[in-house]
Amino acid sequence: MADAAVHGHAHHDHRGFFTRWFMSTNHKDIGILYLFVSGVVGFISVCFTIYMRLELMEPGVQYMCMEGARLIADSAATCSPDGHLWNVLITYHGVLMMFFVVIPALFGGFGNYLMPLQIGAPDMAFPRMNNLSFWMFVAGTSLGVASMLAPGGNGQAGSGVGWVLYPPLSTTEAGISMDLAIFAVHLSGASSILGAINMITTFLNMRAPGMTLHKVPLFSWSIFVTAWMILLALPVLAGAITMLLTDRNFGTTFFDPAGGGDPILYQHILWFFGHPEVYIIIVPGFGIISHVIATFSKKPIFGYLPMVYAMVAIAALGFVVWAHHMYTVGLSLTQQSYFMLATMVIAVPTGVKIFSWIATMWGGSVEFKTPMLWAFGFLFLFTVGGVTGIVLAQAGIDRAYHDTYYVVAHFHYVMSLGAVFAIFAGIYFYMPKMSGKMLPEWAGKIHFWAMFIGANLTFFPQHFLGRQGMPRRYIDYPEAFAYWNYISSIGAFLSFASFLFFIVVLFYTLIFVKRTAPANPWNEWADTLEWTLPSPPPEHTFEQLPKQSDWDKGPAH
Amino acid sequence: MPYEWLNTNSTAPDHSGAASHPKDTANGPAATAADPALAELHLWPYRSLPKQGFVIFIGVTAGMISIPLLAILGTMALWAILPFVGAALGGVWFALQRSYRDGRVHEELQFWPDLIKLTRHDPNRPDRHWEANPHWVQVSMRASEGPVPHYLTLKGGGREVEIGAFLSEDERRRLQGELITRLHAIR
Repeated sequence: MADAAVHGHAHHDHRGFFTRWFMSTNHKDIGILYLFVSGVVGFISVCFTIYMRLELMEPGVQYMCMEGARLIADSAATCSPDGHLWNVLITYHGVLMMFFVVIPALFGGFGNYLMPLQIGAPDMAFPRMNNLSFWMFVAGTSLGVASMLAPGGNGQAGSGVGWVLYPPLSTTEAGISMDLAIFAVHLSGASSILGAINMITTFLNMRAPGMTLHKVPLFSWSIFVTAWMILLALPVLAGAITMLLTDRNFGTTFFDPAGGGDPILYQHILWFFGHPEVYIIIVPGFGIISHVIATFSKKPIFGYLPMVYAMVAIAALGFVVWAHHMYTVGLSLTQQSYFMLATMVIAVPTGVKIFSWIATMWGGSVEFKTPMLWAFGFLFLFTVGGVTGIVLAQAGIDRAYHDTYYVVAHFHYVMSLGAVFAIFAGIYFYMPKMSGKMLPEWAGKIHFWAMFIGANLTFFPQHFLGRQGMPRRYIDYPEAFAYWNYISSIGAFLSFASFLFFIVVLFYTLIFVKRTAPANPWNEWADTLEWTLPSPPPEHTFEQLPKQSDWDKGPAH
Repeated sequence: MPYEWLNTNSTAPDHSGAASHPKDTANGPAATAADPALAELHLWPYRSLPKQGFVIFIGVTAGMISIPLLAILGTMALWAILPFVGAALGGVWFALQRSYRDGRVHEELQFWPDLIKLTRHDPNRPDRHWEANPHWVQVSMRASEGPVPHYLTLKGGGREVEIGAFLSEDERRRLQGELITRLHAIR
């Protein structure tokens, strides 16, 4: 029998540093670990882009030389272009950003930290599996970095096949680098699937009493939708890359026409995963932005139910539009027509979300605190990227734009800028909750404006380059493209400077600022359950089920 | 409603009400009275996913995940993808069932004129029992010193045991009154 346990219940945190951070089963600690590790990987990955923009700043090859990669151009020394290095950089920028930065930050980091708090659960359903997911992600990251340094194609280190790993490039790339990359993606996929199963179980079975599916906060909904997409899409990717692995090592011919295989099949399978993947990246961002906009407009979110079902619709449609990435592989006219129409249909739920955010601000008392600025930036950049998405969805127009910088501009506007602005909105919004410390407003504003201007300066000119016909994935370009490439590089440096500034501010705040943030540093419109807890929350939260009056603030929250 | 009274009419020892109970209850033989209990109280922790929700979720997941499988039906690639898809579907099925099972804490309080008996069923451990004479049982509640607010305990038979620690605060407060009323009725 459970004998009564009556004692002073002041629970102290007895864990040492190692126990707390390396053996953690606490969803809040694991969330923070996810955020930090993805931040480190993000920094590596951003450094690649800066080096690439440095190379693209002027026509000709000045930095990535066979004679040795340089940081300072030297016109006196000879420089023969090192295309492999370039290919490696674009590949690992893509792989790291897709699998090891944005998903872990938004889904692993914010999802782990906030979703159980918002639904009033004491922890994730399977805390030890949560720890396993995190460390598999770290192991996957290590394999990814190892793959970059391991012997690969062209007698150099790393694989330069592009993040999509299309055969025959990926099946014929020499060395062990490609195999390590495949294992890295396997591990990250397994980590994501375990994480998704955990999130789904927590969300479905551990909501506070009275919290029906139509009352769950939007961020938790977005995490659930994301988890469901991961569960459906990642196993398909795992199968696809396993076939690559056997094609490479065991003589199978899944994708080799010489043995009856079909390389196009790989593209279909990859994009069946790949298109949901881009929504996996952005949907948690939708959730964060909804909370930020509602809070700083001092209004409940406009159209809660349409917002929920728009996310569900985006996720569902995301599974039936994959071939719009492959208009040029020789699809029949009927197939192209279908995928074109289906793709354009996605604009409807996306539009519902954008208009609902605008309607939330309409008539509200909008306050331009730093998180709101980032949410504004998100709204603008995501809309720009969405509009170019409609353009690219046209199979006919795609003939001209396929594999040009127009595509690069499009997906960076939606994913890199959309998702990254959502991450920063989340960091500024939840920093006081997670650490008890406020990031300084002035620094946040400088960071925002530098990043906003820098990002637009980087990617908007790439639309022009795409329209001029500049192809992506090349180390060099003709003189004619020089003007906008120069401007784009300036923008990249500005964004990078703002990122460095943010890192300094972040660590200054973490180390030197006192824990003074109140439980709710914003206003009464930040009314989900996490704001009822002290900042930072204690080790154990909601061991006692929250009362409905704690979180149910009437309609549309 | 994570607790429920059965046989609340103490004059009618009709036991058929137990059949409608959601959990499987092992009705152990009473220590002093072989008669059916005058009243029974069942308590279980709240779970937010009804069984129907589980069916819908697995159904939609299986439906969506079969889209790529249909597309590659008849190719060798099916056999490369099927195990992963199966593992994911099986994994989420297992996880949800496991979560139900983890929440299968179940407390059962039975009343006889001269005996009160509490049985606690936990997953993965033997049942725990407590019994006492209702005349001497004290229902007490600690507003703040307990492990949970409004910690409800029963004291008797030389031990003090908790009841409904997994319920919500309001439910425990309501239950305290109901328990006291019930004990008065029996005495």
